[in-house]
Amino acid sequence: MKLAFPHMGHLHIVLKELFTGFGCQVLETPPITKKTLELGAKYSPETVCLPFKMTLGNFIEALEQGADTLVTCGGVGPCRLGYYSEVQKGILQQLGYPFKLITVEPDLIAVVKDLRLLAAGKSWREIYRSFKQAGAKMAALDNIERQLNLIRPREVVAGSADQLGFQAIQAIDGAAGLAEIQRIEEKTLAALQALAQRQYEPLRIGLVGEIYVMLEPFINQDLERRLGQMGVEVHKTMYLSDYVRAHLLRKREYLETYKTLAALAKPYLGHYVGGHGLKSVARTIQMGQQSYDGVIQAYPFTCMPEVIAKNILPQVSKDLDIPVLTLAYDEQSGEAGLMTRLEAFVDLLHYRRRQKKAGC
Amino acid sequence: MQARIGLPQGLLHYQYGPVWERFLTELGAEVVPSGETTRETLDSGSVLDEICLPAKVYYGHAVKLYREVDFLFVPRVVSVQKGQYTCPKIIGMPDMLRNNSEVLPQIIDIDVNLRQGTRPLFQAVTAAGRVLGQNAVTSMAAWYKAWKCHTPQKARPVLAGQPAVALIGHPYLLYDSLISMNVMTKLQQMGLAVLTPDMVDEKTANQAAGVLGKKIFWSSSHHLAGAALALMNGSWPVKGLIFMTCFACGPDALIGELIAQRAQVLGMPCMHLSIDEHTAEAGFVTRLEAFTDMLTRRWRA
Repeated sequence: MKLAFPHMGHLHIVLKELFTGFGCQVLETPPITKKTLELGAKYSPETVCLPFKMTLGNFIEALEQGADTLVTCGGVGPCRLGYYSEVQKGILQQLGYPFKLITVEPDLIAVVKDLRLLAAGKSWREIYRSFKQAGAKMAALDNIERQLNLIRPREVVAGSADQLGFQAIQAIDGAAGLAEIQRIEEKTLAALQALAQRQYEPLRIGLVGEIYVMLEPFINQDLERRLGQMGVEVHKTMYLSDYVRAHLLRKREYLETYKTLAALAKPYLGHYVGGHGLKSVARTIQMGQQSYDGVIQAYPFTCMPEVIAKNILPQVSKDLDIPVLTLAYDEQSGEAGLMTRLEAFVDLLHYRRRQKKAGC
Repeated sequence: MQARIGLPQGLLHYQYGPVWERFLTELGAEVVPSGETTRETLDSGSVLDEICLPAKVYYGHAVKLYREVDFLFVPRVVSVQKGQYTCPKIIGMPDMLRNNSEVLPQIIDIDVNLRQGTRPLFQAVTAAGRVLGQNAVTSMAAWYKAWKCHTPQKARPVLAGQPAVALIGHPYLLYDSLISMNVMTKLQQMGLAVLTPDMVDEKTANQAAGVLGKKIFWSSSHHLAGAALALMNGSWPVKGLIFMTCFACGPDALIGELIAQRAQVLGMPCMHLSIDEHTAEAGFVTRLEAFTDMLTRRWRA
């Protein structure tokens, strides 16, 4: 069995750890390139959202490399993600690839069945250990990324923080054992902190939106890094570990947070609309209250939940006096257009800050 | 004084409109329907950004009514079937209305969420009655009377020596004469018998949709896909399939692909017809004509 799964940020490092621990042979899906996007877009329905096209491209490239088992996630709606697998399966079959698709549905009995299939012959203790290890890698990677977003606008030597981050990701990918992961994490965080830093108050921008676009730098065209280099402290409202803890493990603190967010959003959006639409609205309100300088909403073009949020955010922006920039990504998104919009937005935020300081 | 309630004629109105109208009338309100879609409806609906055409049309209908009524009836229909949703845009509609217009009258946006069971329906009905000052018993009685108006299934046309085509699309698309550009009449005039998803009963559609590896979790799309599969496979004599959708419709992007995949396996001609507010009629007619010609030729052969 040669197992492959789609890319999303550093998800592949985490899943590789997990499935290797199960005793599966993992085939690393080729990293996302323009070619992946072209392949995905070519065989996908025209107006489907970008994550569908990208993951389909990933699958095709993995199958070309010799993968025979694909793992993907399911869902119960109303976001389209939950129905990806059925349609993608049909497309790949029509293309003539032999493969087996395992869709992990959010249902305990189904998950146990999937586990027995994937981790055949492994004891529950070993399975637990794999989860623990993969979870540690995920948390470490997210903590480093969070720190990177804080250091990037302050670094004196441009690119020094990213270099450390890059090395850390490589090291964590190769790490074995909880102690080693923790050591790398601590070392990297300390090294980042020790970098030469400028003392000033950078702009604070919150990043809300759809998880795939927020987490995958190829798709969002390195949004966080670009903003960091422009001297912006980016606060991403969702990391992979947040998603896993809230949606898969259903940790109490996250469920409580969700309740608070739903209450915040209530005057603007009174019901869950799938995906992260409600959270985009709620987080924007929260950041308005915490006087952030601005908010950027990033999502794939035609994403249903985010489009609803988008149509509500202008009112939130007006009421809480916080500028919101919406970025819809599709396979046509160009770099120059993005830069122009980001520069204009950052200029606007600087201007607002000066005005506020001057007291008018 | 009798309360005047506006009923925007869009989205789920094409399925439940008569029921809602009767229900509100039974409760002693005066119902003001917004009427057919016009160019102005489309223009005022374009306030909404990036969203599908039917949602814009709905918004346009609501805006058209606001001056004439005391209430707007925009129920938040989250789910009408166990384990299924309607569509995120329908769920978010009351909020999109509220946040994009400052002049709206009070919106009756009771939640109708039957995803876990039918009990919330009673709550929804009594909540709607309460807004109009009626008690629970009166509201329920009104609802039972109104529900009798619900006719989910349309009669099938009698075939008289002409090829039949399945026209698959949401009711709010097919039956809105402006946005669908009267596609049904056009096809009939070109000599085709037109079969639509609402001519397939729920049981048949459910059964046909059973071949899918995973149940579709949008109720209307589930019916569309089921009906399309039933029309393609069963004893139904359709010669071809037209899948009509509007640009940026989320569920349709996937369902259209599913149907096209199945049609290809069966060797059945399938045309994907996508429309938006910029669609010009001439190009639309040309495509319909070409498809009809092809079907008729295959049918004669």
